[in-house]
Amino acid sequence: MALRIANLLGPRLLNEPLVALTVSRSHDQFVRHRHTKHWNPKWKTLRRQKVMRVKLPNFQEKPEDLSEEEIRSRLKEQGILPPRPWNEKPFFLSCTGGIFEAYVPPEGDGKISPIQVQGAKQKLQYLEKKSRTMMAIRKIKSFEEEFDTATFCKEAEDIYVKMHDLMAKRDLENMTDYVTERAYPEVIHNIENKTIHWKLIKNIELPRVVHARCTDVITKENIFGQTTVRFHTQQMLAVYDRFGRLMHGSEIIAKDVLEYVVFERHLANLYGKWRVHGKIIPDWLPPKEPSLITYLKPAEETSTTETAVTKTSPDTEQEIPKESNT
Amino acid sequence: MTLFRTRPLLKLVSQYQSAVVLPAATKIHTSAFLQAWKPEDHEPQKFLEYNKKIYPPQSPDEAPRPAFVCHQRSNIKYSPWKMWYIACLVRGMTVDEAIKQLKFVLMKGAKDVRETIEEARDLAVKEHNVEFASNLWVAESFVGKGHVVKGIRRHGRARFGRVEYFHCHYFVRLEEGKPPKHYYQHHPKEPHQQLEDWLQQMRKRKITNSI
Repeated sequence: MALRIANLLGPRLLNEPLVALTVSRSHDQFVRHRHTKHWNPKWKTLRRQKVMRVKLPNFQEKPEDLSEEEIRSRLKEQGILPPRPWNEKPFFLSCTGGIFEAYVPPEGDGKISPIQVQGAKQKLQYLEKKSRTMMAIRKIKSFEEEFDTATFCKEAEDIYVKMHDLMAKRDLENMTDYVTERAYPEVIHNIENKTIHWKLIKNIELPRVVHARCTDVITKENIFGQTTVRFHTQQMLAVYDRFGRLMHGSEIIAKDVLEYVVFERHLANLYGKWRVHGKIIPDWLPPKEPSLITYLKPAEETSTTETAVTKTSPDTEQEIPKESNT
Repeated sequence: MTLFRTRPLLKLVSQYQSAVVLPAATKIHTSAFLQAWKPEDHEPQKFLEYNKKIYPPQSPDEAPRPAFVCHQRSNIKYSPWKMWYIACLVRGMTVDEAIKQLKFVLMKGAKDVRETIEEARDLAVKEHNVEFASNLWVAESFVGKGHVVKGIRRHGRARFGRVEYFHCHYFVRLEEGKPPKHYYQHHPKEPHQQLEDWLQQMRKRKITNSI
């Protein structure tokens, strides 16, 4: 046998040092020996036929991941016809999908005091040259006779405060009375798994209507009205996470907040209500307070590696009031 | 005789129907009635309810409450009794250590356990305000019995036996912070603690009917 091995290895024996032909014991643990194989394969077929083959359902797959062809083939296997889709559910459009012809807040708004010349000019310019806004307000008055910007500002403030109170109380049932369906998911996302303590301390400047527009949806008579109200207020906000730890803001420090909140009402509907529809966040506002904890910046599409941990805040959440320094 | 699998198909069939039960309608019936129309949704739900509990805000002088996240994977095709060994291995480890160890466990269930722990870690960072993904440890790790499919097999002399195909649910709870030194209560004690216990026992002795 030694001669046979020597023949197999050939002339290499002469050149390379002799390799140990015994298997080292240390590698045994990485080799697995199966114990489920019978020593005599002659009766394998018969042994296999003894066990009834059962098709197990795959619990890890979800119906959403299956393609249509896959579903069709499975229904065909079982001999079931696909069900007839009954798409006759009626739906009612109670709000528009976005903010049309959004207001562009002038830069430096809220920084100049109204006592100075520039500030006074700004104040006058608010509703003077805005012809389209005036036309829209006239249109709103045609539906709502007693519509007045002054009284509306007060109502808007009440709705704004009520919305935040409901957010703090996590009252989802009554939320739709003060928030449109378009803003609802954003509001819910912001209060998910959190405790919010919010308080409006005072109005630094009285709320005023800065913008108004009306559009019709599908038919010419189905009109929605949107108004943008400028709020310059002092607010207290403290956000706690699910475990009661402070996540954002503070209980004792009040912040000055400048906001442009869009309210919408379904004018053609007799029972339409003015509700919060969205917020306009201009680019020139100072950045939000950084979050109390660090987090990983999301990887950019060009690079595959994640960038280093930064202390800047994540994407702005829409309904939580932003703090600005004025 | 072909086994007619209508129940799994109801799940597929529901995808064709875009008409969904209206929210108002679900308020009429209790969950027991609804479950009858969704036979496949027999996944355990009580463990995940812990994730929904919101704790009241803490005062600044209180010690911060450690964050936790509960996660599960249902109906893994593996025996629950075999899965128990893997669940026990992971208890009390940090998540990084647990994932590292599970990569080298030569059992089928280890893959599912590892994926569940990774998912739980991502959930903790995303939804439960956990700052560092590595600052988590496995607080609870256990197994439950899932779906069982029965089959038959023939033995010698026309005797028949039952073949059971087991599924299991794996539950894991990750908590923020450093893991404790000993996970179980009955751990071997430190020498000084043993000495104190012995001294206490000795001093507790009483001579009966003495003053």
